[in-house]
Amino acid sequence: MNPHAKLIFSVSLLLGTTITISSNHWVMAWTGLELNTLAIIPLIAKSHHPRAIEAAIKYFLVQAAASTLILFSSTTNAWVTGQWDITQLTHQTSSLLLTTAIAMKLGLTPFHFWFPEVLQGSSLMTALLLSTMMKFPPLTILFMTSHTLNPTLLTIMAIASTAVGGWMGLNQTQTRKILAFSSISHLGWMTIIIIYSPKLTLLTFYLYILMTSSVFLALNTIKALNLPTLMTTWTKTPMLNTTLLLALLSLAGLPPLTGFLPKWLIIQELTKQEMATATTIIAMLSLLGLFFYLRLAYYSTITLPPNSTNHMKQWHVNSPTNTLTAILTSLSTLLLPLSPMILTII
Amino acid sequence: MALTTTLLNSAYLRGRCCRHKVLHPLLGPLLSCSMKKLYSSYRRPGSEPEKKPSWRNTDFSFKKSIEVLKTQLSMLKKETEDHLTGPGGHPFSQYLLEQTRVLWEFRSQEDLNKWVISSDVEIGGKSEVYLKLGRNNQAALLYGTLNTEVPRDGETKYSGYCSMRAKPPVGSFARKKYYDWSNFNSLYLRVRGDGRPWMVNIYTDPYFSHQKDDLYNYFMFTRGGPYWEEIKIPFSKFFLSSRGRVQDDQHPIWLDKASFLTLGFTIGDKVDGPFRLEIDFIGLLNDRAHTEEFAYETYEKNPRV
Repeated sequence: MNPHAKLIFSVSLLLGTTITISSNHWVMAWTGLELNTLAIIPLIAKSHHPRAIEAAIKYFLVQAAASTLILFSSTTNAWVTGQWDITQLTHQTSSLLLTTAIAMKLGLTPFHFWFPEVLQGSSLMTALLLSTMMKFPPLTILFMTSHTLNPTLLTIMAIASTAVGGWMGLNQTQTRKILAFSSISHLGWMTIIIIYSPKLTLLTFYLYILMTSSVFLALNTIKALNLPTLMTTWTKTPMLNTTLLLALLSLAGLPPLTGFLPKWLIIQELTKQEMATATTIIAMLSLLGLFFYLRLAYYSTITLPPNSTNHMKQWHVNSPTNTLTAILTSLSTLLLPLSPMILTII
Repeated sequence: MALTTTLLNSAYLRGRCCRHKVLHPLLGPLLSCSMKKLYSSYRRPGSEPEKKPSWRNTDFSFKKSIEVLKTQLSMLKKETEDHLTGPGGHPFSQYLLEQTRVLWEFRSQEDLNKWVISSDVEIGGKSEVYLKLGRNNQAALLYGTLNTEVPRDGETKYSGYCSMRAKPPVGSFARKKYYDWSNFNSLYLRVRGDGRPWMVNIYTDPYFSHQKDDLYNYFMFTRGGPYWEEIKIPFSKFFLSSRGRVQDDQHPIWLDKASFLTLGFTIGDKVDGPFRLEIDFIGLLNDRAHTEEFAYETYEKNPRV
């Protein structure tokens, strides 16, 4: 891509995110969100393939509708209460509309339908940006308004998201769609705890960014867009294959790995808040994702698959050691023993 | 709104009784208040005469609706069980290790009903095409006569095509069904033709209607002998065309979301005369020796090596 264009898009993404997370006025928050949307559209549609264009159009329609709803909710709140402060969204209808809008922006059920398709149509790096950076501003808005939102609605959406993420992710064969459904599932975990302990939401989010970035970077190194290609990496980059599978299991939340930390803390907090039923349900639903990742790990790493691939791009890879991938994968699998320190930091 | 309707109605009534008076030519169709006159009234010879309004097609009987509901619920139950088994209803190991898959096999009338035949009769031409089961119910026979005589309606310049297309797969409650062909890289056909060249078309049903005319095509040259032929067409060779025109910006076909990926065979080689094509089965193959990603240049200014 033209370096000037790339510069403008990256700077706009950073600027939009910064404007939203540091804003006190609703209009500034909306501005940042719009900047982000507009900047990432060309990045999604970069390859000009019809599926990429389709993904860009779907992303634009959903995000534009959500931004309009945000503006509408803030305007109605300003009409009723007379102020535009983000932390003081006291009008009932406004907070309901805002919850809907943020759910659309993030990809929470029942507004998750666009997310796997958009991720599938974009390249791996753009999919990484969509899963991590584009979730940051809406989650910040949710964090700032969490004390005024309806807890029942958020809990229902969270449990439904985990259910959908687990159920739909069961038979996916495209790696980007697998990561899309894992993202929806993680958003469910983040949303269920935001009323009681918003700091845990942020912790879940940071650890989720860590794990997802390591998975996406590893997939980008081996250019694995579907599962059969992923399975043949043991012949070319055996260490990366192993660490990638460990990172995926960490995403699923298996105990000695980092991904277990947010789930454990959320379950503890929810039980303290007398929400044992919701806790049990959400924990059981995340087992679906775990089942799928374990099956994948069994077939691709534990038992070596016999097939080879004729995917040319893998054989052209001559890249030097990826320091960033190594650091991120190590962190995403080995951070659990440091949990007392993490608890003091958050 | 009501005012406009009364105005139009009154104009219509006045128009009917004063038809001999000259109405403004542009406003004529608008004021006559009938749909037929708003569009061109020329009906092509091969097309349907009068379309039934869609609400006449629905069957309002209660018993039949219960039957339909039972069928759809049983299909939904089967789909849930397939979802639990693995991708595409088969176990995960089968998905990871399979190298061939048979998509369409022609052994009974039911298999033939999954295909639709059409020819240039729809635009007023004279070609004929028929589809029946071959000898011993072992193959499908597509035969007929191609006639390149142009229909005389003043606007058609070329004519002479016959085609056979697969009906798109439909899941429970008339939802679209998606298949995953990303494991495979070639189409495998066992055919016995008569030497005439055919064109294989793949239609990926796009989400937005801007791309509804997009078709991926490639040619199938048949040998014509008494022996059966096994033709392998790699998916990297399919080129993109829209409404029949080959596009400049080419890209390889994406097989991951094979939704409505209907396959079609067309004959249109501008030669008058009879044609015959017997098809035993159509399948997919993962050709390990085929390493080409895409056969044509893509429109990239600085391609990444």
